Amino acid sequence: MNITTVREIGLALLLVLLQAILFNQIHLFGVAIPLVFIYVILRLPVALSTAWVLTISFFLGLVVDIFSNTPGMNALACTLLAFVRRPVFTLYLPHGNDYASEMPSLKEFGMWLYVRYALTMTFLYCLFLYVIESLTFFDPLFLILRILGSTLLTFVFILCIDSFGQRREKRL
Amino acid sequence: MRNLIDFILKHHAWLFFIVYVVVSCALLFQGNPYQRSVYFGSSNRVVAKVYEVSDAVTGYFGLRKVNETLLSRNGELEAENMMLRRQLQRYSYAAVADSLALTDPLLRNYDFVVARVINNSVSHVDNYITLDKGSADGITPEMAVVASNGIVGIVNVVNEHNAVAISVLNTKLHVSCKVKGTDCFGSLTWDGRNPQYAILEEMPRHVDFQPGDTIVTSGFSAVFPDGIMVGTIHDYAKQKDDNFYAMRVKLSTDFGQLGAVRVVSNRNQEMQQKLEQEARQ
Repeated sequence: MNITTVREIGLALLLVLLQAILFNQIHLFGVAIPLVFIYVILRLPVALSTAWVLTISFFLGLVVDIFSNTPGMNALACTLLAFVRRPVFTLYLPHGNDYASEMPSLKEFGMWLYVRYALTMTFLYCLFLYVIESLTFFDPLFLILRILGSTLLTFVFILCIDSFGQRREKRL
Repeated sequence: MRNLIDFILKHHAWLFFIVYVVVSCALLFQGNPYQRSVYFGSSNRVVAKVYEVSDAVTGYFGLRKVNETLLSRNGELEAENMMLRRQLQRYSYAAVADSLALTDPLLRNYDFVVARVINNSVSHVDNYITLDKGSADGITPEMAVVASNGIVGIVNVVNEHNAVAISVLNTKLHVSCKVKGTDCFGSLTWDGRNPQYAILEEMPRHVDFQPGDTIVTSGFSAVFPDGIMVGTIHDYAKQKDDNFYAMRVKLSTDFGQLGAVRVVSNRNQEMQQKLEQEARQ
């Protein structure tokens, strides 16, 4: 347990609490909810084994589910997101460059690569979550609106949090 | 055996994936919202505590508006009280003459507990509400939850100090309602979209009503007492089979700003349900 691990656990707890108390209450235009806690999954080190990523994501989703009375929904979506993380890396990370030891962030990946990575992951998460939700309740147009709205809102929040963290690291 | 261990070691990521997906799906499809676990929701003790602490802070934000509503409600009740007192006085003279019963015996069958809403959502398709009172305060599943200006939901899970209620903004909840002043009833449900409106279905076409008319509970389900405010008719349309109207009801409860609610129990609910069950057999 080094200092980075402890800090990441602290960040995860903080984001889950904020999600439960603050972000779940935001409901922009009746369609968009910021699902900011997935930043924890986005931030896991590139080299971390898939089994660990899956485990962390599943329990993260489960805790958020318990807080928002949606048993299984976020847990399943998080597990799926953790599973597609490796393919997304294979797709975007240039071969030959060594990103293995890094945690994905604006600073490490650079603007363009990080935006593509974060936007893809956020979109996939919203897609999984709302498709899972429509298993019990189906309304196609509303579904698309919800996926796109939440993707954009979450993406903006994640960029904010990431650049905030970056600035603080610089100052330290 | 060794092959099996090798296989597991080689594909352990897949195994993790499959186990987690199965567990999530089991939670997701456990079905009936009435039979949910006490642990996987905001009736969980730790979660309820977090929401209580957060409500201790945010509970003050809406107080000015709550205060205004209470004051106006108080004024209305005061006026009503005055009027009733005057009537009562008039009747008490008459009662001596023909020994008239003063209170409606039906209304005596309902008790209520006042509780605070500590967590609430309007953003999901199936929304739930967490309350700060539980079985220790006499709350049991299937009690009605009512705010000062309309219906809110039905209690479904209870622990000692907290309760979770299914909100009216839940596509799985149906409440029997009627147009005030008539006896024709329909079923109120939510379409998962706008938290200000719900849909009242299966209203017979011969009923006479107009947009703006008041919708109240019918009292048939034994959960909600008869005549509790639900909302007003916004607009209406024919349903697919042409014999019924479906109307959009503007809910009188502001689900975005729930504070104190009353949890109402019907003392005769059990008896009524038992009787109805016997009648069906």
